[in-house]
Amino acid sequence: MKLGMVIDLERCIGCRSCTVACKEHNAQPPGTWWNRVFTPGSEFHQTAVGKDGKLQMNYLAVSCQMCENPPCQKVCPVGATYTDERGVVLVDYERCIGCRYCLAACPYGVRQFNWQDPKKAKAEVGYQEGYEYGYPEDVRDKNGHLVYTPNRPVGVAEKCTFCVEYTSQGKEPACVLSCPGKARIFGDLDDSNSEVSRLVRERQTYRLKEELGTSPKVFYLSPVKPKP
Amino acid sequence: MEKKRFRLNRRQFLKMSAATGVLLGTAGTAQFVKKAAAAGQTKGAPVEFKTVRTTCSPNCTGACGMLAKVENGQIKAITQASDYPEAEYNPRGCLKGISMINLIYGPDRLKKPMIRSGAPGKGEFREASWNEALDYTANKLKEIAAKYGPESIGVIFQVGGTGYVQKGAVISLATLAGWSLHHPYDQNGDLPIFFPMTFGVQSEEAEPLEWLNSRYIAVFGSNIMATRLPDAHFLVEAQNKGAKLVVFDPNFSATAAKADEYVYVKPGSDAAVGLGLARVIIEEKLYDSVFLTTYTDMPLLIRSDNHKRLKAEEVQGLSKPADVPAYREAYVAYNGQFLAVHPEKFELPGDVVLEGELEVVLKNGTKIKAKPSFQLLKETLSNYTPDKVETISGIPKDTLVRLAREMATTKPLHVIYGASNYQWYHGDLKGRALALIPVLTGNIGKSGAGISTYAGQYKIRMKLADWWVPEGKPQKWFPWLYVLHGPTKTMKAKYPAHGLKALITGWGNPFDQHNMANKLREMTEKGDLEFVVTMDFQMTTSGRYSNVVLPAASWYEKTELVATPVHPYLQLQQPAIKPLFEAHSELWIARELAKRLNPEFENHYFPGIDENTAAEKVIEMLLKTGGPTVAGITLDQLKKGPVRFKSAAPGNRQIPFYEQINLKKPFPPVSLPAKIEQTGQFVKSGRIEFYKDEDLFLEAGESLPVHKPPFEESEYALNPATREKYKFAYITRNSIYRVHSTHSNNVWMDELQDGKPRVWLNPQDATAKGIKEDDYVEVYNDRGKVHGHAILDPGVGQNVVVFEQGWWSRYLNGESFNSLTYPFIKPTNEVYFVPGVWSPNAAWNECLCDVRKAGDKQ
Repeated sequence: MKLGMVIDLERCIGCRSCTVACKEHNAQPPGTWWNRVFTPGSEFHQTAVGKDGKLQMNYLAVSCQMCENPPCQKVCPVGATYTDERGVVLVDYERCIGCRYCLAACPYGVRQFNWQDPKKAKAEVGYQEGYEYGYPEDVRDKNGHLVYTPNRPVGVAEKCTFCVEYTSQGKEPACVLSCPGKARIFGDLDDSNSEVSRLVRERQTYRLKEELGTSPKVFYLSPVKPKP
Repeated sequence: MEKKRFRLNRRQFLKMSAATGVLLGTAGTAQFVKKAAAAGQTKGAPVEFKTVRTTCSPNCTGACGMLAKVENGQIKAITQASDYPEAEYNPRGCLKGISMINLIYGPDRLKKPMIRSGAPGKGEFREASWNEALDYTANKLKEIAAKYGPESIGVIFQVGGTGYVQKGAVISLATLAGWSLHHPYDQNGDLPIFFPMTFGVQSEEAEPLEWLNSRYIAVFGSNIMATRLPDAHFLVEAQNKGAKLVVFDPNFSATAAKADEYVYVKPGSDAAVGLGLARVIIEEKLYDSVFLTTYTDMPLLIRSDNHKRLKAEEVQGLSKPADVPAYREAYVAYNGQFLAVHPEKFELPGDVVLEGELEVVLKNGTKIKAKPSFQLLKETLSNYTPDKVETISGIPKDTLVRLAREMATTKPLHVIYGASNYQWYHGDLKGRALALIPVLTGNIGKSGAGISTYAGQYKIRMKLADWWVPEGKPQKWFPWLYVLHGPTKTMKAKYPAHGLKALITGWGNPFDQHNMANKLREMTEKGDLEFVVTMDFQMTTSGRYSNVVLPAASWYEKTELVATPVHPYLQLQQPAIKPLFEAHSELWIARELAKRLNPEFENHYFPGIDENTAAEKVIEMLLKTGGPTVAGITLDQLKKGPVRFKSAAPGNRQIPFYEQINLKKPFPPVSLPAKIEQTGQFVKSGRIEFYKDEDLFLEAGESLPVHKPPFEESEYALNPATREKYKFAYITRNSIYRVHSTHSNNVWMDELQDGKPRVWLNPQDATAKGIKEDDYVEVYNDRGKVHGHAILDPGVGQNVVVFEQGWWSRYLNGESFNSLTYPFIKPTNEVYFVPGVWSPNAAWNECLCDVRKAGDKQ
């Protein structure tokens, strides 16, 4: 099994519902976003970009690219970052020592660091006492690695897990389920009948920073379709 | 493209589950696993979220079906329910809806009733018990009613369709007590008044699923990709099915970015564009003359002497058929002989003339000249040559001609006309001009065709009188613009003798959103508005200006019946959690107030039973008496999921004017709760009308749609100095991060925009003003000002300032983006008065301003 995702940028409307669903289900504290949507070429999201006298506004959703050769995994001195048997790159929050080599190594800038105790960061927002959002329980893999916990310890790195708490049960990630544009397709790249495999096989897809040889398992369909 | 969902089959699932060690006990059920006690082991019982299916219902009126995931009595996450029977509608919901937890559990949540102890807006309150707050409120309201009359108490309830039960409770209390109601449709500027003028109806919209059947979609100033997030994908899918999407806009919006063709137009020039397109369609004979003859006023004769429509009863040898109701009129057409046109039958022969001039002998023997409306339209349109339209709008003439040919020949054609475009002084003229395109080409009443607005969803979908209008008591309606503007000479609505002295508000934040020229704040500060009571689940700016703030239940904490035409479903709100702290539903609040105002009033509110049970009783009653659109729908069905409204169209689809065109029922369709006697008079011919012969139209030179430049009759008439002083159009548009002012305080939404209000400028304009990216700038005119950080956007047209509305005052240093606007009232909006149907409409964008770096001298 090799889990992967195709993001159809033609269908993406830049609404950022995926970023919010990701944040909510994965209990990310203020300031932390595992998944972001940009307007390439623009400082501020959804601002037009002038190009050759023509205007355009396209979007790019970026979260962990789930590389087959993950630079973050290579540099991790303690083996906290690893790839599971489904091809998902995960972080063991109990093993991570907070050296942040992975933040420097990731060419996609998707790794986030818990500088502050997330519980404190959430408390500063002023939520009602005792309120906690997100998937409420810990998730461990078969070897006992802690790959999800609602409040990550201060001083650890974190990132998208393809919603390990859901996908380990055969469900889809929160970003896929929440996309009103239905721009995200998730599935097994090893299964030639899966929608992701079909798209990768039949459509012109591209991957971010392909030249680095990281071999991401997140594929993109071009935002621009041929115009009549 | 049918998307194949990622699903593991049972064997794969078991294999993987065993491998990952997340499955406990008997295999086959997907359940969450409690915390593992030690590495490599899993212990404890599996945990399952309780999920509650409910409906999101802020004033976007999208009414998206949502699932609250509840554990330990807390909503841990909100996801789209994705349970609409048509897969195309799933998932419905956006970034705001799914982050509603930040408001439910956020720091601005109200806990107890509050009574203001300091000056308005200063935030000084003391907590009170419900009994004290309700007694105090009821006594003050009785006092004010005794002193100034009950009609001096105004009620703001916002969009009725998003809450028939809870909003209805407050509406019915206003009805019982004789208070004035402010209809949100015109208050919010969302009433597309060309609709009652042309079609006699409040508005009609194609459901987004119908977009997939269009072959040509022409969008005029609507930003679907930002304001209709759950429906936006239908535009992309329509394109993929072969439709051409053309967007006309002064700004390169997110919607323009997805278009097959983006057409820049100067602000306020859309009527000229519509008329220019119509001229080409008529000149090149691309119109559907059978459609025009059958369903429109185009063959009806207009007298050349007084410019009124010729009545059958005026013509020698003709008479008005006996069965014509009082609110309609029989007019005259000609096919070699003069014909009395029955307003309730579409049966004119195909050979009636549309062009030329005729001599008519009246009953008294006088001879007059008359022309068909079509002839007059043709004459009017002769002014809108492609050259002239290019000058007015900036559209190259060849492009205009090409687009007109494309629109006339690619069917079905659907026009989407955005509120940002009609919230102008001459918004009615633009709508009437743009409506010509689908009507001339016969694109009405058909799948994938028509003209739709999608601003607010005010149309009431079922009969509600048993709940909203106790004992059929007359209701008093007071259009909001008169509160701000004062009475006018031409007004048809009744202005209360003492004006507005008290305000009851819920489901809205009028002190940020409706205080044109800061009027509402000033009225409170000066004491003209003597008492304000707000029901809300959060302490908003309006709460801070209120004398009493009553903590209401959020829409995850109560029972409600919700409808919206964008996806025409009837849905429930069901409580996912108990109301936090001391919050109660509005039905409960209304019942408690009713009891204190007059013990007899309480009987209307199912006294003595739990508030959610009472809400269910109301729903059962409404389903029983709601009429044909809800026939057979039961509460039990609704508890299971959304139920589609019934309609005459195949598949119960919502296709505007389906019955008029296909079943030959006269215009207009009913605009509930108004009676047909009230709205039938708007189009007395029973047809689609482009020629309006009421005196105010004739006096304005607007008997047929024409282009009138912006600001001439508004800003420049108000103050001639404005012409030289203020050159920038001030556009307050919607952001993807707020629903008007709801979610202004949502922590995640603020993070996504760095917590900064923004001012969008064209880079050339900014350079001329010495403004750089992210500079703090002031937007101002003689009435007010607002500050924000500059964004230099090459997609913003020149001489335009765009401010994204909805920011609470506290994010604007106490300023209000609405302090610049003015409550202009156009007399054609006053020809009739039917609340929320034909009523003066707020023209937010009819506003001029200038911009400078903050701190620069005047």
